Amino acid sequence: MIGRSIAMRCAALVLTPLALAGCWPTGETGFVEIRTFPSAASTPLYLDSTKLEPFKGASAVLRQPVGTLKLQADAGPGQLALICELIVKKNRITTVTVSVLERPPRCQCRDADGATSRASRSCAA
Amino acid sequence: MAKAGRRMQRGWGAVASFCGLVFLIAVAIPYPVAAQSTPQADAITPVEDFSKQLDQLKNTFGDLGKKIDDSAKTIDGLTDVQKARTEIEQLRAAVSGLLGAVVDNGEVAQMGVRAEQRVQDKLRALEGDTRFKPEERQYLLEQWRRIQGETQRASRELGTARKEFSELLRALQTNEDFIDELVQIRQAQKAIDVIRRLTSEIRDASGKLKTLIGSIKPPNA
Repeated sequence: MIGRSIAMRCAALVLTPLALAGCWPTGETGFVEIRTFPSAASTPLYLDSTKLEPFKGASAVLRQPVGTLKLQADAGPGQLALICELIVKKNRITTVTVSVLERPPRCQCRDADGATSRASRSCAA
Repeated sequence: MAKAGRRMQRGWGAVASFCGLVFLIAVAIPYPVAAQSTPQADAITPVEDFSKQLDQLKNTFGDLGKKIDDSAKTIDGLTDVQKARTEIEQLRAAVSGLLGAVVDNGEVAQMGVRAEQRVQDKLRALEGDTRFKPEERQYLLEQWRRIQGETQRASRELGTARKEFSELLRALQTNEDFIDELVQIRQAQKAIDVIRRLTSEIRDASGKLKTLIGSIKPPNA
């Protein structure tokens, strides 16, 4: 009886913070690769509302939950403008090149052959 | 007797709650954050943490290398498109696991960033530090510069791994999609040709991975 009570308390104590911290392994994940052109440009980009750290090189590969993400850029004080949507699929990589020379920046999705890209509002793996 | 039992139960409850509280605190403070809170105590800790993580990663890279070799062998011998697709899917899951470990928003890459930042801070602090004799300060600066170089090199190697895994994952998914399309238009033989061609790409990746594993040198503090 006492043992069961302790076990239940411990289970609740262990599981609750994990769930709150988002560590519970519920979601499937995929990847997005974001490249910027020109590579030296440092325009702040956002995935949904999360600001991305400046890229170390010309690109960043990020693990993301499966679903659709909004790639956004600054559009004036406190405002974000949608550049394109990135569709993340399980264990797949979606590649997009953002041309930051243009205003607003423009997305080019990488095609299946990997060599060409096309301007688009929605990129999929 | 019953009262004593209830008292004992309450006592155990208090112990369990205390344990839980300790656990909650431990969970709420991730290790690297805790390490950051005492920067002056031990500036080398982030570099050591990064080095340990890289060492562990190298072992997992080896496991993936074996999986790649095995998959290449299996896929090469397959004539059943469905089985080949299952094998490709499994390999894609394995590569994803590894790519997940080296992504820019992953723990290892973040550790690398923190380690580089800490070394940079330490160098800046030492340059303005007047406690030491010039030759002593010079020695310390040289040692920290060496650690800085090694940490930067390790981060670059991590970047190379990221690139290799991304390329392999992309190759697997595009080939898989092409095979799917061929199956839809009842071109099984053509699909098998694609499967065979994919094998050489997988073998190529295996070779690159072996070179990569050999080249990764965690910073040595």
